[in-house]
Amino acid sequence: MWNGVKNFLSGKSSREVAKGRLHLVLAHDRTGLEGGRLQEMREELAAVIAKYVPIDAEAVEIQIETRSSRETQLTVSSPIQPRNA
Amino acid sequence: MGRAIVITSGKGGVGKTTTTANLGTALAQQGHSVVLIDADIGLRNLDVVMGLENRIVFHLVDVVRGRCPVAKALIRDRRLENLWMLPASQTDDKDAVKPEDMTRLVEELKSTHDFVLIDCPAGIEQGFKNAIAGADEAVVVATPEVSSIRDADRVVGLLAAQDVPARLIVNRISAHLVKRGDMLSQADVIEILALEMLGAIPLDDQIIATTNNGMPAVLAGKSPAAREFIRIAKRLAGQETEVPAASVGFFGRLTRALGLAPSPA
Repeated sequence: MWNGVKNFLSGKSSREVAKGRLHLVLAHDRTGLEGGRLQEMREELAAVIAKYVPIDAEAVEIQIETRSSRETQLTVSSPIQPRNA
Repeated sequence: MGRAIVITSGKGGVGKTTTTANLGTALAQQGHSVVLIDADIGLRNLDVVMGLENRIVFHLVDVVRGRCPVAKALIRDRRLENLWMLPASQTDDKDAVKPEDMTRLVEELKSTHDFVLIDCPAGIEQGFKNAIAGADEAVVVATPEVSSIRDADRVVGLLAAQDVPARLIVNRISAHLVKRGDMLSQADVIEILALEMLGAIPLDDQIIATTNNGMPAVLAGKSPAAREFIRIAKRLAGQETEVPAASVGFFGRLTRALGLAPSPA
């Protein structure tokens, strides 16, 4: 009996894969930010953070995800470099 | 005073026109007086789905331009005495009509009918803006596919920005594919879009045959899709029917009601 198309690596059903992809793509769509603007924001945020703590600007990450129903969360994460490095 | 309901989806080919034809026909069968408006100017299709294509004399653009009174452009469906259709023009483009024109037209039809169902064109441009202008509420049709759901989400945001309350119909669900893990379920779609559920229409071969015949499925008999359309029509009219299997959580509705949910620019 044919058991549906499983993703090769994750072993997830195509239904679960679709759900995960939609959550991600809709979170981005809902911000109304195109890729270029997002990149700009990342760079500006990195510059602001770098004013206060030593960071590697390239390592700053922005994550946009749907939390519950239509609530979208923006998370900025940045590893801080050791002070005496 | 009647209610104006726009049937919309963003993406084309997901079943807006079929839904409009069947919900309208079912509402008329249930005793309401109903007008269906084809708002897809330049690409009209509600006429062929309803099987009324040979009876068109005047159309929406004629009415809006004052070339004929609305009563003269309405086509009465001979199968049900309280069902009418206002066809779109096939030669004009979407700019031939402005949102104010639609608002005025819909108001006039609401004064004489219980339900005005507006079949919205695909897309989110001028045709969409015209179609939602006069609507009191919206029915968003989505199929359980990523492209359809993504476009539906965009439309949901635009409707919220215009304060048009929306409910969802998930179309062409295949229980078999959901079960084997190859199709999003109605609950999945509801969870993703956070909309109130109006109903789910099963994938049904009968729809193809009835459309070939120019006969809405609800008139042709009791196919699985027809049964569901009839149930949704009752729900639209405010009759208590079985609660759909899945519905959006309180939190989803609350954030939307409070305007906390982001709407696209």
